[in-house]
Amino acid sequence: MAAWVTEHVIPHEAAVRAWLARTRASQEDIDELIQESYSRLAALESVDHIDRPDAYFFSIARNLLVRRLRRARVVPIEAIAEIDAFQDDMRPSPEREAGSRIDYRRLLALIDALPERRRRIVRMRKLEGWSQREIAAALGVSESIVENEIYQGVRAVQRAWRDGEALSAARLAAFEGGERPR
Amino acid sequence: MTGRRASDIDADAARYVARMDGDDWSDAQERELERWLARDPRHPGALLRAQAAWMTLDRPFPAQSAVREDAGVRVGWSRRRVLAGGGAAVAAAVGGGVLLFGGTSYATAVGEIRRVPLADGSIAAINTASAIDVSLDDAARNVRIDRGEAWFQVARDKRRPFVVAAGRARIRAVGTAFSVRRRAGGADVLVTEGVVEVWAEGAEGHRVRLKAGSRGFVADDAAIEQAPAAPSAIDRALAWRNGKVDLAGDRLDSAVAEFNRYNRRQLVVADPAVAAERFDGVFRTDDPEGFAQAVEVSLGVPVDLSDPAQIRIGRPGL
Repeated sequence: MAAWVTEHVIPHEAAVRAWLARTRASQEDIDELIQESYSRLAALESVDHIDRPDAYFFSIARNLLVRRLRRARVVPIEAIAEIDAFQDDMRPSPEREAGSRIDYRRLLALIDALPERRRRIVRMRKLEGWSQREIAAALGVSESIVENEIYQGVRAVQRAWRDGEALSAARLAAFEGGERPR
Repeated sequence: MTGRRASDIDADAARYVARMDGDDWSDAQERELERWLARDPRHPGALLRAQAAWMTLDRPFPAQSAVREDAGVRVGWSRRRVLAGGGAAVAAAVGGGVLLFGGTSYATAVGEIRRVPLADGSIAAINTASAIDVSLDDAARNVRIDRGEAWFQVARDKRRPFVVAAGRARIRAVGTAFSVRRRAGGADVLVTEGVVEVWAEGAEGHRVRLKAGSRGFVADDAAIEQAPAAPSAIDRALAWRNGKVDLAGDRLDSAVAEFNRYNRRQLVVADPAVAAERFDGVFRTDDPEGFAQAVEVSLGVPVDLSDPAQIRIGRPGL
């Protein structure tokens, strides 16, 4: 499941966030909607039946947003327009195809930008296949230090996906600046 | 929504992922996690997202383009599977080149670098312009390097030795990581982890063990040279796995030869006087232009980029 999400959902998260932002949802609301959307995925017994994971994930987020707006007293007009236009966003397009690929170089650049010890530990763990214990022994530090650096590494990747940093340039161009692929 | 901020929940999720990523995950920790997951409907989503985000770093290089979609994970799943989130699931998920038994060939084009998960849990990273053949069965794991270079992270399996053949050179590992580069008169071996045994075909009696942090050259005439290498030197020599050329005091002509392995647009040192200059820096394998410009700036050597087929370093036209 996590692997399926890695492959098919995470690369679309920034697009869903960009869409939510156009509905004038606050940053905190967006974060919550995204977490809730992932929770819906986590509750699935199987993902066999999902042909278009990106569209599926979009739909979940949209439905959660609609539910939330029904409870709200004031609904921004933009929200209604965007929700109605939402189907346009889900039409397959060359940009979507090209951009839904993770740009591994960007991920590597992200690792390279970490502070020295963290960078070394994340590389050993993820690129070279060392276990946390082996890393601790090799570097002469405690396992809790290694775990903490890994934690900081996970935080960095979480942020990267939130901001869409690891996506290919084509993908970024497709949704940056609130522009909708046609 | 009430309660804690989304960013705090993300931080908690990251903490659990880091802990699960470690070597001892106890029943008590599992129960603590279960309680945390049950406490707020956003928690399972935050955990799933953190796990998936962390796993994106396991992915192979994008240069590996064929059959990407075939091997997507189409399994049902249990919470245990999500929580495990480890190597096996990733190996299945990265798809594209998960090997079946029997010989499977992989070739890379100039400039292409591929990471390939093998069916036994090992990983091969195949460098530019290389061809390898992998054959796995119940008794043995055999890899042949027909040309070029590959690095292997070998899954431990005492019953099935992992043997790489490069020309007449043979390299055997039990559970370790090393690279082999086939050259004209033999093969270069760099050991990054564990111990490997090297010999030449027809000279099985003369075997040498190479430890992590050493390099060896197995000549076709069965001569074996070995030398310890600084870990940093080995890291630099294997920078190609991340699409990089890492230079530290290398001669300009050997740096140029390195870039030319990866690119059709060849670098040419037009001035013999600058060939022996030493140079530092980390560059992308596919960016000889960037390298040439860095040379221009730091060595004060003119660079001519006008010809799309080559880049001339040093006095153009003389």
